[in-house]
Amino acid sequence: MPDFITVQDAVFEYLRPESTPVRAVDHVDLSVAQGSHVAVLGRNGSGKSTLARLINALELPLEGTVVVAGFDSQAEGSAWEIRQRCGMVFQNPDNQIVGTTVEEDVAFGPENLGVPQPEIRRAVDEALAAVGLSEYAVRPPHLLSGGQKQKLAIAGILAMKPRCILLDEATSMLDPVSRRDFMDMVIDRVRRDGITLVNITHHMEEAVLAEDVVVLSQGRVVAHGTPADVFEAVAEIRAEGLDVPAHMEIAHRLAESLGATLVHGETETPAKAVDAVIRVLAESKADRSERFSSETAAAAAAPAARHAGAFTIDPTDILIDVKKLDFTYLKGTPFSNRALEEVSFQVRRGEILGIVGHSGSGKSTLVQHLNGLLRSAPGVVTVLGLDASRGGDIRAIRQKVGLLFQYPEHQLFEETVRGDIAFGPRRMGLPEEEVEARVLEAAKIVGIAEADLDRSPFELSGGQKRRAAIAGILSMRPEVLILDEPAAGLDPAGRDEILSYVSSLRDHGATLVLVSHSMEDVARLADRVLMLDHGRVAAFGDTRDVFSDEATLERAGLSLPASTAFLKRLALHLPGLDTARFTAAAAATAVLAAAGAAPANGNGGAAC
Amino acid sequence: MLKDISLGRFYPAESPLHRMDPRAKILATLVLMVLVFLANNVWSFVAYGLFSAFCIALSRVPPIHVFKSLKPILFLIVFAFLLNVFSGKGDAIFTIGPVSATWEGLWTGLRMAARLILLITTSSLLTLTTTPILVADAMERMMKPLQKIGFPAHEMAMMMSIALRFVPTLVEETDKIMKAQSSRGADYDTGGILRRARGLVSVLVPLFIGSFRRADELAVAMEARCYRGGEGRTRLRVMKTAGRDYAAFAVVLAFSAVVVWLEFLRFA
Repeated sequence: MPDFITVQDAVFEYLRPESTPVRAVDHVDLSVAQGSHVAVLGRNGSGKSTLARLINALELPLEGTVVVAGFDSQAEGSAWEIRQRCGMVFQNPDNQIVGTTVEEDVAFGPENLGVPQPEIRRAVDEALAAVGLSEYAVRPPHLLSGGQKQKLAIAGILAMKPRCILLDEATSMLDPVSRRDFMDMVIDRVRRDGITLVNITHHMEEAVLAEDVVVLSQGRVVAHGTPADVFEAVAEIRAEGLDVPAHMEIAHRLAESLGATLVHGETETPAKAVDAVIRVLAESKADRSERFSSETAAAAAAPAARHAGAFTIDPTDILIDVKKLDFTYLKGTPFSNRALEEVSFQVRRGEILGIVGHSGSGKSTLVQHLNGLLRSAPGVVTVLGLDASRGGDIRAIRQKVGLLFQYPEHQLFEETVRGDIAFGPRRMGLPEEEVEARVLEAAKIVGIAEADLDRSPFELSGGQKRRAAIAGILSMRPEVLILDEPAAGLDPAGRDEILSYVSSLRDHGATLVLVSHSMEDVARLADRVLMLDHGRVAAFGDTRDVFSDEATLERAGLSLPASTAFLKRLALHLPGLDTARFTAAAAATAVLAAAGAAPANGNGGAAC
Repeated sequence: MLKDISLGRFYPAESPLHRMDPRAKILATLVLMVLVFLANNVWSFVAYGLFSAFCIALSRVPPIHVFKSLKPILFLIVFAFLLNVFSGKGDAIFTIGPVSATWEGLWTGLRMAARLILLITTSSLLTLTTTPILVADAMERMMKPLQKIGFPAHEMAMMMSIALRFVPTLVEETDKIMKAQSSRGADYDTGGILRRARGLVSVLVPLFIGSFRRADELAVAMEARCYRGGEGRTRLRVMKTAGRDYAAFAVVLAFSAVVVWLEFLRFA
């Protein structure tokens, strides 16, 4: 197959006023064969989006060459030729839709190309059918869900009959279910039509679908090969701040702690990884000695240590009590939509409560009732003895219950970071010294340097902006902190960092409610979990119980945390295996315990 | 849920007016708007009123919806009417303090009010039966000849269409920002004007910054989809002027002739 894209020794720098240019792409070589599927992985800021822009001639290389479909991107007029053949889907679904109806948006590309009208009509209808949006042809796009909007973006490209599709973090704002659905659709389509696919992402579950994986770090290619090649270097990928598929990581950790070696490709799929684990366990059993027990004991101790400082939670100390909450949007109109149905639950002092549910299950509506943003629905919401459902002192409630929305950095507005963090305490009417003390305290918790406090929040990097926004809530010292998808849109390392702040907040005495699409994140952090399905409580209880019940999760459109899903496969061969383990380390320890390869570990219940 | 706001006041229905070519509709509306200022005697007003009623019936838009469009200017209508009633010359009907109502004033006032009412109802029929995007599209096509003298017809229409596309998105965003700031103690409903204005700053700054970011991303996305201005573009939507559009326009012209006859010839 001839190469469709050839990037040769490409360099690109962003110029910044009054400072040295930032080198985003640093001598990159890459060739992509016609019809192949390549995933480009890397942290935020690793240069992967810039690479996509170079390929699509939205930027031109400073050094080196980029040739796409035989056109050198630096030649006169070739940008137009390249973009006709190579369509691109961007991260934010809202900011790439031009048309006021779905079909008009799909027609935008062909219209620009000057395709005659009858052909546009045909291309639009075909593209909409291909992505499954035919019935929405005349809808205004703002009424679509996030996943549907990204499908619309793909349809807009398919209508231009491309030979290549570039996805630039196209799924990073979607929930896991829509993400899978979207990727399945795209991959099916490109295979059928022989379209080249370049997927720029930081989701390893997408990368494993590719034939070829390229890992970028600081503008350079640091790994390149098949998914098995790249991900088997577990430690290196982890060091790059990226995730490794759960089955691979667990198997590799296990092999490492048993001193065994895995054959290349042996953990490629979950099924193969199960066989590999069984093989490694059997071999080590034959030659078990004291040599391993010290290491495995250390591995077993690590997760236990994390829980040593855990709080004792008094189940009768209730901070928030929700009784039979029922909420309907636009009641009494044809658009009326019942978002919550008789929801009842309690939040205990000092706990981390996870709220999970698919998109549109009522999670956001529910948390808005907890600090009085939505009120006067049937049902009673009591927050620290105050009535948040109607009447009640709303200001007092909002001071006690902090609510952090998704992408909170989009709500920063003051001239300095300091001013923004101080907004809440000032509105509470605190004296200036107290405000200042709280700003410093909050900044310290989230790790913002004092020198950065006097900068404009808009000069900060993405991750720092988010920390500043979180500090803006912490400075009010809420007793309960509700976080709606605090890690949305961050890369794996950024996610781990934010989540570690979140769990450390508990040490500062806060009670936390964590709303998330990620079963893994909730499983790792939460003590208890509330599962919503179409506005109803599908399950409510201890994390390990909720995440062991696969049937209920599936009914609610959710999936098992990846580590549990793999442990369940293993449990068929290892009776007595505790599957409610949510990190690779804890999972490996559980496998050792079940196989009798490790010293008995006393910490039976602690899930971490 | 601000998702359900509708732009303009388009009333979806199946009617001859909805089906009419928007360009013909815009032209006809312009003719009728000029005509309403020609009307001066009672017969012209009666004829115009009957014709408007006929159009409303034809549009299948419930009359109540049409009259709702008068609400924002109701005050203006009443004010114009009263001003005329009390400032006319001639025999007084009654006198309040220094001003007196006159028969002549009453007649002028009525004419003024009728003119405003007819003007608004007629022009609102255009927006009730045509989606905003179709109006923008039709304007672009009608102004195309002006492009030769440098008038940016395509750019204007593209701007209008993008604005229409993003209004619901920005309304949603505003709602989200207000909720987030409320959670941090912002209060938009109490306090003096100054305090409220300050409260708005905390909403407008992130909204503006967000809009710039969106504009930036949208521009790149449009470029990636081969947008390079109006030149050489084709369109998915075709506008065909059918026989019935000419007929409809002919009816409007005939009606105009009737009004002109009533005004200038009948009593000449």
